[in-house]
Amino acid sequence: MDPFSAWLESTRISTAMRDMTWLWPTCESIHFIGLALLIGGAGYFDLRLLGFMRRVPVAAAKAFMPWAITGFAMNFVTGTLFFIMAPHMYVPSAAWWAKVFFIVVAGLNAMFFETTLGTRVMLLGPNEDTPTSFKIVGGVSLFAWFAVLFFGRMLPYIGTGN
Amino acid sequence: MHAWLESLQNSGFSQWVVGSDSIWAYPMILTLHTVGLGIVVGSAAVLDLRLLGIGPGIPLQEMRRVLPLFWVGFGINLVSGVMLFASEAADKAAQPVFLVKLLLVAAGVVVTARLKNVAFDVGIPPAHVRTLAKVSLFVWAGAIVAGRLMAYLK
Repeated sequence: MDPFSAWLESTRISTAMRDMTWLWPTCESIHFIGLALLIGGAGYFDLRLLGFMRRVPVAAAKAFMPWAITGFAMNFVTGTLFFIMAPHMYVPSAAWWAKVFFIVVAGLNAMFFETTLGTRVMLLGPNEDTPTSFKIVGGVSLFAWFAVLFFGRMLPYIGTGN
Repeated sequence: MHAWLESLQNSGFSQWVVGSDSIWAYPMILTLHTVGLGIVVGSAAVLDLRLLGIGPGIPLQEMRRVLPLFWVGFGINLVSGVMLFASEAADKAAQPVFLVKLLLVAAGVVVTARLKNVAFDVGIPPAHVRTLAKVSLFVWAGAIVAGRLMAYLK
């Protein structure tokens, strides 16, 4: 085991959490519910950015984003707890690093949208197609979140070095 | 019944799913099942939330558009779920939490199909439609929890 994982797993917080045998399955259940909120809420907005559901004003399609962010927060917290409990499953895992990479891609993509394109959203009414820049942002977001899901679920199976 | 489940579990396909080292076997089917979960519960959740008053700027009629996605996700999970079940048929059939999950999924499908018929008629969803939307959210969350606990409550 790498020294960092060995150290973290020897800490009292990590040991105490592992002793609570119900904690891991509980966090997994929350993690999967959070996943559905995130994919549902963000995916809905991404599809509108891609030009689907044109009768929905783009600004209105953003209504589920607080729920998507709630899902992300649930998964960030439970994901952090998984990491504290068993860092050796993640630190050497290529799938985990790929997952983190795509979370960063999705985050930067959303930040780019909010800071540069976001204000133009309000100007788009119903029945209007979205500009190419919106479509790219929506496509990148949708792809990145499904990649996060893919590498998360594949974590026990690929790039573990076993 | 048990003999049939045993023979299903011992079939060539099932043995490949659980026995193969390929990530195209069990890992990919499991991952497809999770992708489908995200699409099914994600699309049901945005429909339910809209019916409960989130996103009033979205014309209610337009929420019909998520229903085909819901069914695509459901199809993915029906196929991947049957494959996962076949690979461990006798064990899964004997697992109470698996039966709980099946019941919750069936309830979720019935509630969503019912919403399809009653949700889009009027401007503001009436009380019984809002109740159905709340039931849908809880039933799908319950199905997720039951599915996850299948790995623990043997």
